[in-house]
Amino acid sequence: MYRGREGQWAFVLHRLSGVALALYLLLHVLDISLVMYGPEGPFNAFLAFYHQWPFRVGLLMVIVAVIYHAFNGLRIIIMDFTDWGVKVQGPLWYGVLAVTAVIGIPVLWKILPEIFGGA
Amino acid sequence: MQVNVKIKRFNPEADKRPYWAEYQLEARPTDRVLDVLNEIKWEMDGSLSYRRSCAHGICGSDAMLINGVNRLACKILVKDLGADIRVEPIRGLTVQKDLIVDMEPFFDAYKAVLPFFINDDPAPAAERYQSPEDREIFDDTTKCILCAACTTSCPVFWTNGRYLGPAAIVNAHRFIFDSRDQGADERLQVLNQPNGLWRCRTAYNCTEACPRDIPITKVIEEVKRELLWRRA
Ligand code: FES
Repeated sequence: MYRGREGQWAFVLHRLSGVALALYLLLHVLDISLVMYGPEGPFNAFLAFYHQWPFRVGLLMVIVAVIYHAFNGLRIIIMDFTDWGVKVQGPLWYGVLAVTAVIGIPVLWKILPEIFGGA
Repeated sequence: MQVNVKIKRFNPEADKRPYWAEYQLEARPTDRVLDVLNEIKWEMDGSLSYRRSCAHGICGSDAMLINGVNRLACKILVKDLGADIRVEPIRGLTVQKDLIVDMEPFFDAYKAVLPFFINDDPAPAAERYQSPEDREIFDDTTKCILCAACTTSCPVFWTNGRYLGPAAIVNAHRFIFDSRDQGADERLQVLNQPNGLWRCRTAYNCTEACPRDIPITKVIEEVKRELLWRRA
């Protein structure tokens, strides 16, 4: 493992969350589109399948990934379009992590009990 | 002090794959890793192969992956690493033997950006004047020693060896922002290729690795903006 610093991990997380979201979006569009086969079609069966807890946990990760990817995207825009962004990229990344936590934790707080409460 | 040195070795004539060789020896805290390698080669195992020339951080021969980070063996001291030292060849280039890699792809990328002065105007009688302010703009990028520590620390380069890489962009920057030079368009055209400038994903490993303290990511971003605004 190369011992890179903030920038390397920001990049790795951005890439992982990006690829995960792209795959998720594909899946999402595919199974939402099943709705066109009507109520008797496969849509409801798929939906029930996705209500199992591993997929729900996956959905939580999607939420966290969206938050991280969005805010790190802003960090990248700042680095790309200002001449000071590069200098503060490290602190900016900690800011991105903090914002991800600040928004992500209440969301988990709200949704986790629903998942394991079986609702 | 007693140091424990692990070196990733590979002899294409004898080994199927690289292996870790271990050496225990005495070293002074103020010794450089290059001194330690020399001690091993001269006193313990003459078959150990690596490049070095100046031993003073200026020829760019001895970039290595040392304790997980790219550095020059002749600039990093034992006391900054501790008793356990791990040395590997830089990544993304083919290992020829032990710590020696094939640098040709690296130099090909360097040559691709036309790293030389271009100006076809007849030379003026005295000099091609440049103000100190204009000279300052590309001062950082005149310092590159082509050691490849940056390019081979780049995660994008590890997975795509055809990416021109930070060193080539640094040397393009050196001339693109030189007020006396007229080749900027040609260079930017090269950098605008699919494996050029836009492959940079700002992972900053290059900036951390540069033994000359060139703010590499900063200058890459400057070239990106230059290309963007020129096209716009
Ligand atoms: S030996 Fe010349 S840079 Fe290290």
